[in-house]
Amino acid sequence: MKKFFLIYLCVILIFLSGCWDQSLLVNKTLINGVSFDITDKNELLGSARILNIESKGGGQFELKDELIETKSKYSSEVGPEINFKMPGKIDVSKAHIILIGEELGKQGIHPFLEIFYRPKDAYVTARVVMTKGSASDILSVNPQKSPIAFEILKALKSSESLTNIPKETVFSTWSQVVDSREDLLLPFVEKVENDRVSIGGVYLFHKDKYTGYSIPKEKSTLLLLLTNGIQKEGLVALNLKRNRSTALRVMDEKRKMDLVIDKSNRKIKCKINLELDVNLVSYSNNLEEKTNVNSLNKDISTLLTKEAKELTNILLEANCDALGIGRKLASSHPDIWKKLDWEKDYKNVQFETKVKVNITKTGTVF
Amino acid sequence: MITKKTSITKFQLFFFLIQSQVGIGLLSLPNVVQATAKGDGWISTILAGLIVQIMLIIYWLLFKQFPNENYTKITIRIFGKYIGKLLNFIIYLYFILTGSLALILYINCISLWLLPLTPIWVLSLFIILSSIYLAFSELTIIARFFVIATFMLVLLILLSFLTYGLEKEFQNILPIGHSGMKNILMGSNKSIISMLGFEGALLVYPFIINKEKGVLKSVSLANLTVTALYTYFLFLCLISFSPMQLKQVREPVLYLFKALSYEMLDRIDLIFISSWIVPMTTSIIAYLFFASKSISKEKSYKKTVLVNAIIIYLISIYPFDENMISKFSTYVTYLSYFVVFILPILLLVLTLFIKTLKRSENA
Repeated sequence: MKKFFLIYLCVILIFLSGCWDQSLLVNKTLINGVSFDITDKNELLGSARILNIESKGGGQFELKDELIETKSKYSSEVGPEINFKMPGKIDVSKAHIILIGEELGKQGIHPFLEIFYRPKDAYVTARVVMTKGSASDILSVNPQKSPIAFEILKALKSSESLTNIPKETVFSTWSQVVDSREDLLLPFVEKVENDRVSIGGVYLFHKDKYTGYSIPKEKSTLLLLLTNGIQKEGLVALNLKRNRSTALRVMDEKRKMDLVIDKSNRKIKCKINLELDVNLVSYSNNLEEKTNVNSLNKDISTLLTKEAKELTNILLEANCDALGIGRKLASSHPDIWKKLDWEKDYKNVQFETKVKVNITKTGTVF
Repeated sequence: MITKKTSITKFQLFFFLIQSQVGIGLLSLPNVVQATAKGDGWISTILAGLIVQIMLIIYWLLFKQFPNENYTKITIRIFGKYIGKLLNFIIYLYFILTGSLALILYINCISLWLLPLTPIWVLSLFIILSSIYLAFSELTIIARFFVIATFMLVLLILLSFLTYGLEKEFQNILPIGHSGMKNILMGSNKSIISMLGFEGALLVYPFIINKEKGVLKSVSLANLTVTALYTYFLFLCLISFSPMQLKQVREPVLYLFKALSYEMLDRIDLIFISSWIVPMTTSIIAYLFFASKSISKEKSYKKTVLVNAIIIYLISIYPFDENMISKFSTYVTYLSYFVVFILPILLLVLTLFIKTLKRSENA
């Protein structure tokens, strides 16, 4: 019996070595960022940033960040095309960012998401980012310090924590693109002077297509607050009347969204009450004036209410249901939702937004 | 003969049932239920748990009449030698086929998520070898292992708390009851299939120590635990995925973990499935055990296990495509209706009928 057991163990050990599914780092090329564009000739331009690991001997490695560009006809062809140009097998399991060009975004981003959520190795927490202009232009920027993909990722993360842009990964983007009851907001980056990349703001989507409307980063925080999307905190800078300006840190938000439906003519009124708890970061008032928290609360509230109104108007114009009114309608008034044609009826929604600001802290000075 | 070596306590029974029930089915359950019950899938699993509970009570009533016999012996006593043996063969067939189906799904899942290049026969061989090893031993030892393996489940439940970091949308399940009773019941039907394994109680009942009281309590607790676990994971998937997305994803419970990412840790789905191998294997072990117990005599038990294992192995390495698997699964479902639901009810009714008949004869 013991002998039988030993043989059994040995056989198991041989099998347990896992020789079929090993993939050595040496044979791989790691991709850390991908971009998709459409050219004037209607060709897909796929670019990838590749991290080449070269041994210098003595346990030292040199990292080289390379750019590879390919042209192809279909979205599924991009992956294989890049693979042909590469020395090793491409590995997208650590592709941190996926950049999609503005023009391509107008034709739909779903096929490019699909490449990243279907395969087993896919990294569904990769960030999806739009670019103003061509995406490969941005991916080809060569910063001095670290690879561009990591630079963009860093910038995204810090903006996300300030609720400047939404945190959208392949997973969350996919979730919203296939859901007809709400629309997507995606952050976009742009190239600024000195060959640098900066966060631009938010693009409005309808289904998986970019609508052409965008919200600049100065206003996007308020939009995200309206969608109940506060991350760690929110940073808003405002220019008030009478030569005053202020910067606010939104610590907490309470959003109340109510739908009032007129059953006779199916008019939908959406009432949003947004309450913000804010800390003053800076407030430059007139020299002699003392900070009056109550009147300041009022001033900021009126200004933000006005800005919110502008934002909801843009949302309606873009036909982008970023606030998820469709979903709210489907869950609370299913009978009405079934009768509606949300493609057309969304534009008739009336918004009544009210922002109320409550300054809880003014910092170390009054 | 039931010796101390082959008997199990009620505590062990609880874990035994949990481990034979929980397995591969849970991973794809949210997707399967979504097809009909949609946002009301969680009601479906609760209903399924209720139906299972009713069946467990029926089993319990049946065994009150025959405390020292198992399922296959009762059929012979009620239906006589020939029909009884035929029925026992169907029961045996059911256990073998369910075991094979579980193994096929299990291997498919492993090769899809973990080891795509490893040949099927190798994967299957590993699983079946370790199953044989445990199924060879007595029930007590299997039960002990199942008790330990349950810690794995606890670990996985703890792991699931990590998914609270993902965006949740409670409106997905509203309004409650929107998909209608018919669809919810169809979802329940699907959930029961992934809860199968409780019928093991039919075979292990005679081995329980002190079965005069408390057995119903432990089987009910086991059922409650499994139902709660299934409902919990289903609910988690319903609020984490958008409805259309849930329809597209093959194993939503795993995909949920894929969407998590931390500085230090990534691809938690791979950790999850590597640990989930244990509950999946315990189901295979349980079915191998049931199949062998249902036909073997005391002496030839080990040989029967070996033969059954070879049969299951051969079925599992057949290159099934997705259509064939779903057909296979439907057949097993039909078979399960008979073996798990209809036959025990029939046996109970006949037993009670015969009893009253005898009583009236005596009087």
